[in-house]
Amino acid sequence: METRSFADYLRSLDDAALISLFAHRPDLISPVPPDVASLAIRATSAPSLARAVDALNAWQLQVLEACAVTPEPFTEKVISALTDKAALFVIPGLLERGLIFTGKDGYYVPTNLREVLGNEIAGLGPETMAKLSLKKLEDAPPASKKVLDAMVWGPPRGSVSDIKKPSVGVEWLLKENFLIPFNQKTVLLPREVAIHLRGGKIHRELLTSSPAIVGENRDEKNISLAAIANISTVLRWVEELLNFWAQEPADALRSGGLGIRDLKEISLHLGVDESCAAFVMELAYISGLLTIDPDDRILPTTNFDIWLTLSPSEKWQRLVAPWLTTSRLSGLVGKVENKNIAPLGPELDRAAAASTRTLTLKLLQEIPNCEPNFESIYKAALWHRPSKRYGGLQGDYIAWALREAEWLGITGQGALSKYGAELLDGAELDSINQDMPKTVDHILIQSDHTAIAPGPLEHEVAQVLAIIADIESRGGATVYRFSEATIRRGLDHGKTGDEIKIFLTKTSKTPVPQPLEYLITDVAKKHGKLRVGSTSSFIRSEDPSIITQIMNDKRLDVLSLRQISTDVIICNMDSADSISLLRSCGYLPAGEDSRGTLLSGPRIMRAQSKARPPRIIGEVEVPDEIQLQGALRALRTGEKSTHKQSTLRNIASNALGSLPRTTANETLEMLSDFLQNQPTKSLSIGYADNNGLVSHRIIDPLKLSAGSLMARDHATGEITSFRIARITGVAAL
Amino acid sequence: MSDGPLIVQSDKTILLDIDHPLSTECRRAIAPFAELERSPEHIHTYRLTNLGLWNARAAGHDAELVIDTLIKYSRYAVPHSILVDVAETMSRYGRLRLEADPVHGLILVTTDVGVLEEVIRAKKIAPLLGARIDNETIVVHPSQRGAIKQSLLRLGWPAEDFAGYVDGQAHEIALKESDWKIRPYQSLAAEGFWHGGSGVVVLPCGAGKTIVGAAAMAHAKATTLILVTNTVAARQWRDELLRRTTLNEDEIGEYSGAKKEIRPVTIATYQVMTKKKNGVYAHLDLFDTHDWGLIIYDEVHLLPAPIFRFTADIQSRRRLGLTATLVREDGMEGEVFSLIGPKRFDVPWKEIEAQGYIAPAECIEVRVNLTEAERLSYATAEPEERYRYCATTRTKRNVVEELVSHHAGEQILVIGQYLDQLDDLSETLGVPVIKGETPIKEREKLFAAFRTGEITCLVVSKVANFSVDLPEATIAIQVSGAFGSRQEEAQRLGRILRPKADGRGAKFYSVVSRDTIDQDFAQNRQRFLAEQGYSYKIIDADDVFQGKF
Repeated sequence: METRSFADYLRSLDDAALISLFAHRPDLISPVPPDVASLAIRATSAPSLARAVDALNAWQLQVLEACAVTPEPFTEKVISALTDKAALFVIPGLLERGLIFTGKDGYYVPTNLREVLGNEIAGLGPETMAKLSLKKLEDAPPASKKVLDAMVWGPPRGSVSDIKKPSVGVEWLLKENFLIPFNQKTVLLPREVAIHLRGGKIHRELLTSSPAIVGENRDEKNISLAAIANISTVLRWVEELLNFWAQEPADALRSGGLGIRDLKEISLHLGVDESCAAFVMELAYISGLLTIDPDDRILPTTNFDIWLTLSPSEKWQRLVAPWLTTSRLSGLVGKVENKNIAPLGPELDRAAAASTRTLTLKLLQEIPNCEPNFESIYKAALWHRPSKRYGGLQGDYIAWALREAEWLGITGQGALSKYGAELLDGAELDSINQDMPKTVDHILIQSDHTAIAPGPLEHEVAQVLAIIADIESRGGATVYRFSEATIRRGLDHGKTGDEIKIFLTKTSKTPVPQPLEYLITDVAKKHGKLRVGSTSSFIRSEDPSIITQIMNDKRLDVLSLRQISTDVIICNMDSADSISLLRSCGYLPAGEDSRGTLLSGPRIMRAQSKARPPRIIGEVEVPDEIQLQGALRALRTGEKSTHKQSTLRNIASNALGSLPRTTANETLEMLSDFLQNQPTKSLSIGYADNNGLVSHRIIDPLKLSAGSLMARDHATGEITSFRIARITGVAAL
Repeated sequence: MSDGPLIVQSDKTILLDIDHPLSTECRRAIAPFAELERSPEHIHTYRLTNLGLWNARAAGHDAELVIDTLIKYSRYAVPHSILVDVAETMSRYGRLRLEADPVHGLILVTTDVGVLEEVIRAKKIAPLLGARIDNETIVVHPSQRGAIKQSLLRLGWPAEDFAGYVDGQAHEIALKESDWKIRPYQSLAAEGFWHGGSGVVVLPCGAGKTIVGAAAMAHAKATTLILVTNTVAARQWRDELLRRTTLNEDEIGEYSGAKKEIRPVTIATYQVMTKKKNGVYAHLDLFDTHDWGLIIYDEVHLLPAPIFRFTADIQSRRRLGLTATLVREDGMEGEVFSLIGPKRFDVPWKEIEAQGYIAPAECIEVRVNLTEAERLSYATAEPEERYRYCATTRTKRNVVEELVSHHAGEQILVIGQYLDQLDDLSETLGVPVIKGETPIKEREKLFAAFRTGEITCLVVSKVANFSVDLPEATIAIQVSGAFGSRQEEAQRLGRILRPKADGRGAKFYSVVSRDTIDQDFAQNRQRFLAEQGYSYKIIDADDVFQGKF
C-alpha cells in the first residue's frame, strides 16, 4: 500500500511544497495528472524516480543510498549516523524532490527507488532474516576475517567452489549466519554485517562537497577582449556560411545531413577546422537561420534576412539561446568512431547534451576569471552528476561544451566572460554592442590593387566591396584584392565603371591609385563592347515609330523602359506585367517566349519552406511560474472533482444547453472578471471548432493573452490555448 | 580596445598600419618572427609561418614573447586559435637536435622519444639514418645533414642544429673603411646573418649587397667562395672587394669561362659551375677544392637547380644568400630558404629609400596605342607570337625616341628582350647596344664609358638585368621583357636606384601596348614593385609627345 501512503503524503503537502516538487521534477506535470493519486503513481514510477536521481549530486546520492538501505521508517538521526552530520542539510532536499517521504513514525523511501538505485546499493547485500550476534565477528577465525575483508566494501557476493564443501573461513561465517548462501556457488554478505564492519557507515569515502576546480587565472580585461573577438568571429562565420550557401546551396545527403566534401569546402571557406565548421552550421540550423528544403537543398531562411538587420547583441542572443537548450551535439561530427555522423543530419541528438552543457556553464560560473583545467572540471562535474545511467557523464560533452562556449564567446581565453555571465543570468546584453569593435566606413586602397578595411566594415560598404573585389584575408580587418575578374563581376552586377570609381573614391581614405582607376576604366571599356545586360522583358517592333511612341508615353513610366536600339526597348517588369500594361494603354503587344532573356550574376536564394529548427529531445522543458501555478491549480481542482466527476459532467451538459451565447467582448470581460475575482474557479465554456460545431469544455482558466485564453482542459488534462472569438459562452461551475 | 598598429588576421597574416605612431617600434618587435610579405604605401602585410616561428625560436625568442608582442600591439583582440597555434608550433622546435658526437659523428637526439619514433618511421627519413644508439639517439650520416633537416622540416619537427659549422681555412679579411662607412642596415644584415649561421639577406637593388657580403667575410675571416651570375658581375665583385676590404689582387681569383683561378677568395659564375662536360658537372668540384669557410650566393633567386642539389651536401659550411627579389616564378622560394638558410634580414624598399640610401624612383607606364593595321595583325598573330608582336611594335620606337630626347643629358638605359628590337632602337637612337653576344671586354668598355658620362645612352638586353653597377643611370626605359616576370621588372628598376651624387630621383618608364597581352604581363610584372610601395603612374603615349608628364 505504498502508493497510497505516498499519495497521502502528497495530499498533506501545502502549495509551496507541491510547487517545489514540480519545479524539481517537471516531468510530473507534463501532462498535468488529473489527481493526486495519479501524481503519486507517476512520482513513484521508476522512470520518473530515475530522472530525479539523475539530477542529484554525489553527496545527495550517498545520503539517498543510506536512506534506501536503512529499515523503514527511519529518522534523520539514523541517516546522519550512517553518513555524516552534513546529511541533515541534504534530507530536506530529498524530501522536496519526493525521493523520501514522511509517513508514520518517520521517513520512508518509495519502493521503486531501490530498484532505480541498483541491486546492491552502495555495495551492500540484502538484509538477513536470521538473528545475528555481531559481537561474535570479533572472534572470527583469521580465515573468515580474510573473507570478510574481501567482501566488506562490496560487491557483497563471493564465489565458492561448492557451497556444500565450504572452506574453513566460509564455513564458520555461514554457520554464524554472517554469510547467506545464495546459490550453489555464491554466498552473500548480509547488509547488517557489512554496515557493522564498515564501522556503522555506508560509504568508505563521503563526498560531502564538490572537488575544487583549478585552472589558470586570467585577467578580466583579456577575457573580455578575447570573448568579444570570439563573438565577432562567430557572427562573421555564420554570416559567411549562409552567404556562401545562399549563392551555392549545398545538397543534403539522402540519409540526411551534409556530405563530407561540403563540410570540407565550408571549413576551407571559413578558414576553420571541420569540427568548428560543423559547429557553425549546426548553430545556424538550431537557430532557424538555415533549413533543408524539401528538394534537399540547404538554404538560408528568411529569418536570416531579419537576423542580418539585428544589432550584434541580438544576433548573438539568437544564436546562443538555442545552443543552450539544444539536444544536438555538433562535436559528434568527425569523431573517428562516428564516421557516418553528418552535420545537420538526424543522428546528432543526445539526451544528456543540454544538461551536461548547462552543468558545465554552471561550473564555469563558480570560478570567475579562471580557465579550468579539464580534468578538474570533469571531476567536479562528475560530483554534480554521479549517475551512471546512459553510460554516465560524458567527458566529451563537457569538452565540447567548453570548446563551443569559447567559439561563441561565452568564454574568453577559457574563462567565463562578462557576456557569458550576463547571458546565464538572463541580464541585458547591451554591453556587447558597446564593446564590439567599432565598425569602420572606409578602406585604404593601395597601389598593389589591394584595399584594406582596418576594422569591421559597415554592412552596405562590405556588400558592395564583396562584389567588386575578392576577399584575401579575414579577421579583425579585411583585405580585398581588385583584379580584372572582380571588376568585371561588379560590372556584371549592374554597376558602371564610374559608379565603382565614385564608390571607391568616396569610401577610400587614401587616394585611389591611378593604376586601379585605369584597370576599372579598361575593364569597363571592354565590358561595354559586347552588350550583355540583364532584363526581365523586352519590347521590340519593326516599326521604329511605335518604339518612339512607347518611349514617350508617360503612362508607361512605371515600366522604366530603356531603349537599347532603334527597335528594341527593355524593361524591368516581367513580360506578363508589361504586356498587360501595354494593353491597358491601347497597344497591341504579342508575347514572345522567354528565350533570349538573360539573367546574370548569382541569384541569392532563400528556402521555400519555413524555418523548422530541430526539436529538442530528452529534456523536459523547465516550467515557469505560471505553468507551475497552473499545474498546481489543475491538480487541486482535479483532486476535488475526482469523486464528483460524474456530477460535474451532468452539470456541464446541462449547462451547455443553457449557456448564453456571448460576443467576444463580453466573453473577454467575463473571463477577465473570473480570472481576477475567482481565479480558482473552474469554468464551463462552449467552444467552436473549425467547422463551427460547438463542443462543451470544462476548463481552469490560467491567463489571458493576445486574443486567447490559456487554460487547462479537464478533458485532456493539458494546458491549451483557446481563441476568445471561438468561445461561445462562459459559465461558472 | 587598444589602438595599436597591428591587426592579426585569422589566416595568420598580420597587417601593420605604417601611418601609426608606433609602427616603427612595432615593426622591429615583430620582425624576428613574422615574415614581411608586402610593403605598399599604407598597410604592410606580414605572415606568421612555421618557418618564421621556428627561426625565431632558433634565435632565442620564445612563444611567450611572440604572443606578448602580438597582444601588445594588436588593435583588436588576437584570435585565440592563433595564440594557441603559435605556442604549439614553437614548442615543436628543438624536440629534435642534430649534434656532433665525438664517438658517433653526427647524431639526431631527442628530448621526446615519441617524436623520434614518429620521424624514424617516415619514409623520407628512414634511409638517411644510421644505427640507433639508444632510445633517444640515432646516428645520421654527415652527408645527409642537409637532407635530413629538410625532411624533418617538412614533417613539422624541425631539428635544432647544434652540429655547428666548419670554420674553414682561416684567411684574414677585414673591412677597410677609410673613405666610406658601412651603413647601419648593412652591418645589421651582416650580423644577423653571422649570428644565424646561414641564411638569406634581402635588400633592394642598389642598396649595397656586395658590402653585406664583404662584411660577412670580415666576420668569417676565412676562405670564401662567391657565386655570381656572370663575368661582369664577377669583376664588379672583385673591384668592390678590393676597394672595401683589405684583400689584395693576388688573394682574389676569378673562376669563369675565361679564367680558372682558385685563390683564398674565389669568385665563380653560375654558368661555369653548371657547365657539363661529357654529361657530368665538371666544375662542381670547386666546392671541395678548398676548405671554404663561407660560401656567398649572389642573386640567390637565380640559383640554378644543380647548385641547389649540391648545396644540400655542404650544410656544414656557412652559406650567405643575397638577393633583392626573392620571388621565383617557379615557386622555389621555399627551397632557397631550406637549403641556404632562412631569411635573416629583410627591409621594405621604401624604408631604405627614406633613409636616402637608394634613389627615389618614379615608375611610369606609357601606354601606346597600336595602329589600326597593327591591331589587326596582332589579333591574327599566332598565340605564341603575340607577346613578341605587341611588345616590339613600331609605335613603341617613336615613344622611346621621344622619351630619350626629353631626357637628353641624363644617363639613360633602354632595356628590352628582343634583339631585333634592340638593334633597331640602337640604330634609331644612334647609341651602342649591349647584348649576349657582345664580348666581355667590349661590354666592360661600354659600361665604363657610360659610368664616366662619355656615353649617355645605352641599349641593353637582359644581360644587364642583374649585378651591373651603373651608379649614374637615372632613366630606364623598358620596351619589352621576359613576359610577366616580377623579379625582372624589379631588377631593372634596380639598375637606376643607386643614389645619385646630386640626390636626383630616378625614372623608370615601361612602354606598353594598350589592350594587348603586353598590358596584362605589365600588370603582373609590376606586382612585386607595387607590393614594395612603388605606385605606377599610367600615361598615354600622346602625353609623351605633347611633353605632358
